[in-house]
Amino acid sequence: MSLYFVQILNGLQYGLVVFLAASGLTLVFGVLGVINLSHGSFYMLGAYAALTLTSLFGDIFVALALGLPLAFLFGMAIEWLFIRHLYARDHLQQVLLTFALILIFNEVQQSVWGNNPLSIPTPPYLARSVMITGALGYPVYRIVLMAICVALALAMVFVIQKTRVGRLIRAAESNREMVEALGFDSRILFRLVFAAGVALAAAAGILAAPVESAYPGIGDRVLITSFVVVVIGGIGSIRGAFVGSLLIGLADAFGKVLVPQFSSVIIYALMALVLALRPAGLFGRA
Amino acid sequence: MSLAAPAPDKADDILVAAGLNTFYGPSHVLRDVNFRVGRGETVTLLGRNGMGKTTLLRTLIGLVKPKSGAIRLDGVDVTGARACVIARAGMGFVPEGRGIFPNLTVEENLVFAERPGRNGRRDWSRQAVYDIFPRLAERRTNWGNQLSGGEQQMLTIGRALLANPEIVLIDEATEGLAPKVRELIWATLRVIAQKGVAIVVVDKNLEDLVELADRHVILAKGEVVFEGTSAQLRADPEFVKRMLGV
Amino acid sequence: MLKRPPLSVAIFFALLVAFFFVVPVFGGAYAVKFCTRLLILAAFVLSLDLLIGVTGLVSFGHAAFFGVGAYAVYFVSPDDEAANVFVALSAGAALAGLAALVVGALAMLTRGFYFIMVTLAAGQMIFSLFHDTDIAKGSDGAYVNVKPMLVIGGASLVDFSNRSQFYYVCLASLAILYFTLYRLVRSPFGRALQGMRVNETRMAAMGFDSYRFKLAAFVVSGAVAGYAGALFACLDGFVTPELMSWQQSGLAIMMVVLGGGGTLYGPILGALAYASLEELLKTESLVGPFLANHWRLGTGATLILAVLLMPEGLAGFLRRAARKRSETAPALEAPAKAARPARRAKALSTQALARSFGGVVAVGGVTIRFEPNLVHAIIGPNGAGKTTFINLLSGATPPSAGRVKIDDLDVTGWPAHRIARHGLGRSFQRTNIFGSFTVTENCALAAQARAPSPLRLIDAIYRRRDEAAMAHALAVVGLADRAGAIASQLSNGEQRQLEIAMLLASGADLIILDEPLAGMGLEETQRVVALLRNLATDHTIILVEHDMDAVFAAADTLTVLVQGRLLAHGAPAEIRSNEAVLEAYLGGPAKPGAAA
Repeated sequence: MSLYFVQILNGLQYGLVVFLAASGLTLVFGVLGVINLSHGSFYMLGAYAALTLTSLFGDIFVALALGLPLAFLFGMAIEWLFIRHLYARDHLQQVLLTFALILIFNEVQQSVWGNNPLSIPTPPYLARSVMITGALGYPVYRIVLMAICVALALAMVFVIQKTRVGRLIRAAESNREMVEALGFDSRILFRLVFAAGVALAAAAGILAAPVESAYPGIGDRVLITSFVVVVIGGIGSIRGAFVGSLLIGLADAFGKVLVPQFSSVIIYALMALVLALRPAGLFGRA
Repeated sequence: MSLAAPAPDKADDILVAAGLNTFYGPSHVLRDVNFRVGRGETVTLLGRNGMGKTTLLRTLIGLVKPKSGAIRLDGVDVTGARACVIARAGMGFVPEGRGIFPNLTVEENLVFAERPGRNGRRDWSRQAVYDIFPRLAERRTNWGNQLSGGEQQMLTIGRALLANPEIVLIDEATEGLAPKVRELIWATLRVIAQKGVAIVVVDKNLEDLVELADRHVILAKGEVVFEGTSAQLRADPEFVKRMLGV
Repeated sequence: MLKRPPLSVAIFFALLVAFFFVVPVFGGAYAVKFCTRLLILAAFVLSLDLLIGVTGLVSFGHAAFFGVGAYAVYFVSPDDEAANVFVALSAGAALAGLAALVVGALAMLTRGFYFIMVTLAAGQMIFSLFHDTDIAKGSDGAYVNVKPMLVIGGASLVDFSNRSQFYYVCLASLAILYFTLYRLVRSPFGRALQGMRVNETRMAAMGFDSYRFKLAAFVVSGAVAGYAGALFACLDGFVTPELMSWQQSGLAIMMVVLGGGGTLYGPILGALAYASLEELLKTESLVGPFLANHWRLGTGATLILAVLLMPEGLAGFLRRAARKRSETAPALEAPAKAARPARRAKALSTQALARSFGGVVAVGGVTIRFEPNLVHAIIGPNGAGKTTFINLLSGATPPSAGRVKIDDLDVTGWPAHRIARHGLGRSFQRTNIFGSFTVTENCALAAQARAPSPLRLIDAIYRRRDEAAMAHALAVVGLADRAGAIASQLSNGEQRQLEIAMLLASGADLIILDEPLAGMGLEETQRVVALLRNLATDHTIILVEHDMDAVFAAADTLTVLVQGRLLAHGAPAEIRSNEAVLEAYLGGPAKPGAAA
């Protein structure tokens, strides 16, 4: 019984981290209309940045505080250099260019940090377990991680629903042309949205790093899972990304316990089911 | 009915477009169109569907780039400028289909582009718009896509006003609206005109437009075939019927 | 459409083939192995071009079929004996083709981004099947202990463990595959696929069932990928699930785009170029230690530059470098100037036809009959539901209520391509032709629609009939002298004429035109009006138009739709003086100023 409870917690924790990454992807795809395959790389770079920053400053939360603005600026640079040329191009060329970015980012990662998995320290004041049942403990850091993800989710919803920028984003998703005709420069908006997407992916990588360690392939898994979440949740919907991520997280966790041989394909079965019932995703606009 | 020669660029023209040629792919939709609007003037744009009215408005606001021709807004050359630049230079746009953001509330739609006009003037406020359109005040927290056609039209006009424009382009001002709502829209346009805002309005209710506007321009197959006053329009009903009727 | 490669490209490839031919003579073991790998990779990428470049389907799971083909060789190879060459290679193609059939049956129901995701998911599931279970030794990989051989009467003819023999088999395979696919793409089947890439709506409106065509392309492409995979298994004698990963699929897509999709030779070039580039960048003696150790920076940067600077890929680059030599269209025999016999065309009728979207009534209960051999015009103010009405007639939109009949045949609810096969052809509001194809190619597709089966692989059977139809159609609309021009370069009026020609060539005798005169000047309008009147001899014409002068010159009947409902139907003169119609158009009292 308590094993299931732990699995639920694991599933939720994994799902919440995926949510952070997937929310960035759904924003970028929903507003900019660009398929960005390098999204997983930003997660990976976040994890490795956490490694370096914690070795310099010690605490993962300091790493987060420094890493986020760095990631944001990095995202703006990438958009300006490469992504903005893709708005007029078709999906194929977007796939090709962002795939090439993966190659470059992978190379950078290998040169700087190497191939071996490296662990990132959990902050000592959180490095203990809390007893959730008589016999089983659960790491405090993971609980804090979940809380932070939920807080970020609420913050995102707040920004999208209550601020001026959020209004612009929502409007641009439904009628980009009208936004321009009302006097707003969509080019700058796109740059900011892309940078935010990168920052969200990096944040997910940084926060999850003490749990997952950093190794070369972590970006790939997040990329695929994020795309599946976007399909399940609906393109452009933060709410959809949240629900989709939790579904995926729980399905994955229970899959590992109940059908370990097929656990990695459960998410695809889930995606196929959603596509069959609601082709535009759970919260998508048809 | 004679085709009035394009008037020379007057000092008090807020908008002057000359020799506009716009294409959609190989389709030549606007053919050498000259169009001008005086400060504070109300001009109607008439013609059957597919004659180029919407394309002309979209060219003026910069959503479509003309292949040739020039556009000057308040003396400044804005030919080929992006729509966001032209909008900030003082042109408001109320499109066909209204362009309401369905996933924003009425209030959020309304204040979307709120900004002071030229010389910092603020003739329009949220409250002023709600006073003109009390129905909108009642529906403040509804989503954009929950409004009726008439309410959407009120909202789009209010949204354009809150940017304090010098000139507003309105495409299909009263299409599909009940007579009472139409009356309200016309009354509102009169108020706007009184405040010195120039208006270009496209609509098919000729009767109402003739009362409302100072000058009328008729487009047929992308060309200007008439430009004149209400009196001139009234003087040749056969021509009008041929151009606008069946 | 797929053309003969320009001379410069043909010469380039001839040199390339010659080079590959002599590699085993002058090169060492490593060179032969490397080139074999190149050839197999090229075959794999070639198969993907059939999907991406020709049919326009971006599949992100194609490497799975390559891997399935490789594993098939493992499955049919006994532990300590050589399998038969034919058995091994055909097992690869067959198993992969079967997998493609299963995946494709579901994937073809989706489009665009969702298609990419579904193929990605399918690829991952197949990967997982081989990686996480032990149907084939799981993630450790499996060995083909003895490579396949061909033994006839005790004599060994072909032995895949012989490096050179295997090499030449691969070279021959690639050449045969290229020429086979080339012929396939130039056949009626392949032409239809290309049409679907450019304009699927139009193809459906002409009568082609795109689901079956695309599924066939998917299976063929999967089988070829499986064949390439089978060859790969014979190269190393070792297969792993890594062959099937999405990264491999992504790499393949890259090579297609890099080479230039749709040309067949382009992606081959792309594969060769990319693999060679990678090898080059890894060679320290050529590029120095930094680049050699970080070769992925080099490949990544090159690819980015390629996307930004060469949107049409290497093939496009080569084509532009070549002298412009347009393939001359085969001269179409202008038909003898016999008058067309008058022929009773079909009638179209509706009964209480209606369509709502959400709660909004777009078309409300229209009952009408369009008599044969007449020109009928549908008019109405903006938002009257005219285009929705046409969509209901042609099957592009299913009705919410009511019936549609062609003569006495009830076609209510039929999909567009099925209705098209019963003689109804339509045009669209924005000109909807195949812009990148020539006038002749556009008409050829339309003529092909008379027999739109995916199984049509040979032109000869219907060629005479199709060519006569095309020549006739072009002559009637007046475009016979523009047969070789690229459609997107025609003037607006000419494009509209082309649309009508296509409808004629497809054998439609019930023709619906949506705003055919939009954006036309006076002369062009008059030409088209004359054409429409001419066509009424043996067709029924229905058009939506706003140009009242043209409508009165062309139409025998006028139908007025207002807010989705039928307001009036009758001869033009009657409609003109109909009070209700005038009010609908001018709003308020008929004469301006009268009610002042």
